[in-house]
Amino acid sequence: MSDVTLAAPPTPSALPEQPVSAHDANSLISMRDIWKTYEMGSEQVHALHGVSFDIPKGEYIAIIGPSGSGKSTLMNLIGCLDTPSKGEYWLNAKNVSLMDDDELARIRNQEVGFVFQTFNLLARATALHNVELPLIYGGIGSSQRHEMAKEALRAVDLSDRITHRPNELSGGQRQRVAIARALVNHPSILLADEPTGALDTHTSMEIMDLFERLHGEGNTIIVVTHEHDIAERAHRVISIRDGLIEKDEKIR
Amino acid sequence: MKLIRSDIYENLKMALATLRANKLRSFLTVFGVMIGVITVMLISSIISGVDTAVKKELESYGTNSIFISKYNPGIHIGRLSREERMRKDLTYDDAVALTQLPAVELSVPFLDIGNNFFGQKILVSSPGKTSAAVALQGTLPDFERAGTQIVKEGRFFTQYENDNNEEVAVVGSSVGQDFFPYGSPVGQEMGIGGRQFRVVGVLEKREQFLLGGGDDDQNNIIYVPFNVARKLKPGSNDVYVQAVARKGMMDEALDQITDLLRVRRQVPFGKPDNFGLQTAELFLSNFRSILSGVAIAMVVISSVGLMVGGIGVMNIMLVSVTERTREIGVRKAIGARRSDIMWQFLIEAATLTGFGGLVGLSIGWLLTFLLRLLLPSYVPLWAPIGGFVASVGIGLIFGLWPAWKAARLDPIESLRYE
Ligand SMILES: Nc1ncnc2c1ncn2[C@@H]1O[C@H](COP(=O)(O)OP(=O)(O)O)[C@@H](O)[C@H]1O
Ligand SMILES: [Mg+2]
Repeated sequence: MSDVTLAAPPTPSALPEQPVSAHDANSLISMRDIWKTYEMGSEQVHALHGVSFDIPKGEYIAIIGPSGSGKSTLMNLIGCLDTPSKGEYWLNAKNVSLMDDDELARIRNQEVGFVFQTFNLLARATALHNVELPLIYGGIGSSQRHEMAKEALRAVDLSDRITHRPNELSGGQRQRVAIARALVNHPSILLADEPTGALDTHTSMEIMDLFERLHGEGNTIIVVTHEHDIAERAHRVISIRDGLIEKDEKIR
Repeated sequence: MKLIRSDIYENLKMALATLRANKLRSFLTVFGVMIGVITVMLISSIISGVDTAVKKELESYGTNSIFISKYNPGIHIGRLSREERMRKDLTYDDAVALTQLPAVELSVPFLDIGNNFFGQKILVSSPGKTSAAVALQGTLPDFERAGTQIVKEGRFFTQYENDNNEEVAVVGSSVGQDFFPYGSPVGQEMGIGGRQFRVVGVLEKREQFLLGGGDDDQNNIIYVPFNVARKLKPGSNDVYVQAVARKGMMDEALDQITDLLRVRRQVPFGKPDNFGLQTAELFLSNFRSILSGVAIAMVVISSVGLMVGGIGVMNIMLVSVTERTREIGVRKAIGARRSDIMWQFLIEAATLTGFGGLVGLSIGWLLTFLLRLLLPSYVPLWAPIGGFVASVGIGLIFGLWPAWKAARLDPIESLRYE
């Protein structure tokens, strides 16, 4: 990963009005002065106010902050589940802020792999079928789909569980199925929102070991958490508070 | 990119699981669609069966035949009007007069003598059997040329035999079998109304299309010369006439017969006919207008059934969308487009109603088998195809709103939904 030129971490945008530099074409992710505002009746809630940062390919980043600080909002924007109220978001040199619904769906399918706190697997489907799901939406034929899904399950050491349904699997195994599902399309980023939030300490460490390994294999990983020991496994930590970046530091 | 990027197998499984999970609503859904499809199957098979049978039956009398009676044509429902009952009878002379018309090939009178002058059944007997349950008709030898009845053995009686009051008879195939089981009836003696008749011919068996296995009038019949029949039932004037138009001159024949009969029966100018002409074609079109009433009833019943099914499936799908909000969120997060979600729920709804349609088709199919014991019927190909297409279509139409609701859900809110 040494070929990536790491720019100095952007300065925390304490003053949102200050002019921001153009997006970095070399970065996988480039966010410029991102705002997210919710209308609550007559009141406006700014979940994010003017966030800017760059993430090069292959990084392992933790986004940490207290509850309500805007972590999930930021993650939903990175994962293209949502679009910013203001600002520019460049993913793989494409301006996501301007995309329509179908284009966003395509980005979520091809470029992003989501891992959720509560796994979010389809209860009635087998592990294999759950992992195949993104490939279905990617329009990939069934035999190739099977092979790719089996390969992804092998990568998370679940080759012997492919016909099991979620209720026949432990929490850690379910999260590994979810990770396989996130990875199966070979996305540009793996996005995990509190991935260990529903797991015990031991299993949490196993999942974090898996993330470390996946990072070692070249994946770009962003983990959202409020736990410091989870954040410390990453190589760079972005701390946010009240919708602003408070700190952005490389720790490894 | 393919239009439907959905996993049909998965959607089918989901649909069946939904069906199992919501038993009562599923039952209503399936039941309504089922009733609709069964109705289509049954009524269409009745209509096409009866229609074909009636058509064949009528054609067997000859498509050029015109049946003339003193009553109005058409299918009578209820009592005849007083005026109709008071009309004077057609006569032998009327029948003979019609033969002179240029568009008429032949014309023969019939005298029905099932009952004698005192209203008693006329007895028919052979050395081994006596029965009153045989139709007896007097006619002329020209009848053979109409082609309605074909002589299989022996011959038809002749004009000479008619003119000389000879007691000869031509018998239908069942009469031949019933009264003379051990050999040919031709040349045998038969008692009819107390007189001795000689059998000169046996008719070919006429096929019965409409009520197979019912009582067999068409073959259980004896024809005797017209003059002889009149002797068996003196004073009988219950005459009807069968005329046959020359080839391709049906319309002319109808006009000429009408004009001549109006003159002979002294119908004043401007007054309606006091007799009726019936042709196979006319009868069929009358009959078909009755059938189309039945068809409308079918459409109504089956639409009500399909509507009930449609509302059921809409209900069930709305519940399903709410219950699976989170799943919809997940699907969107991993790349499902709105159209993908839309198709998923549409396929699910169509599976539900399509399932109901298939159940209806199977039950309907079994019922048409039972029906065949009572009525001539067959299932026209369009009925199962149309029934199935309609049931799937109902799912697609009534699934539209729930599917649209699902497709429109916000992914983030759906993912947060408990
Ligand atoms: N859909 C929404 N409508 C209104 N306010 C929202 C909505 N989503 C998030 N917020 C607000 O935005 C802020 C950030 O929320 P969130 O990103 O979920 O924080 P975190 O994930 O760090 O706990 C909170 O104050 C929250 O109440
Ligand atoms: Mg959160």
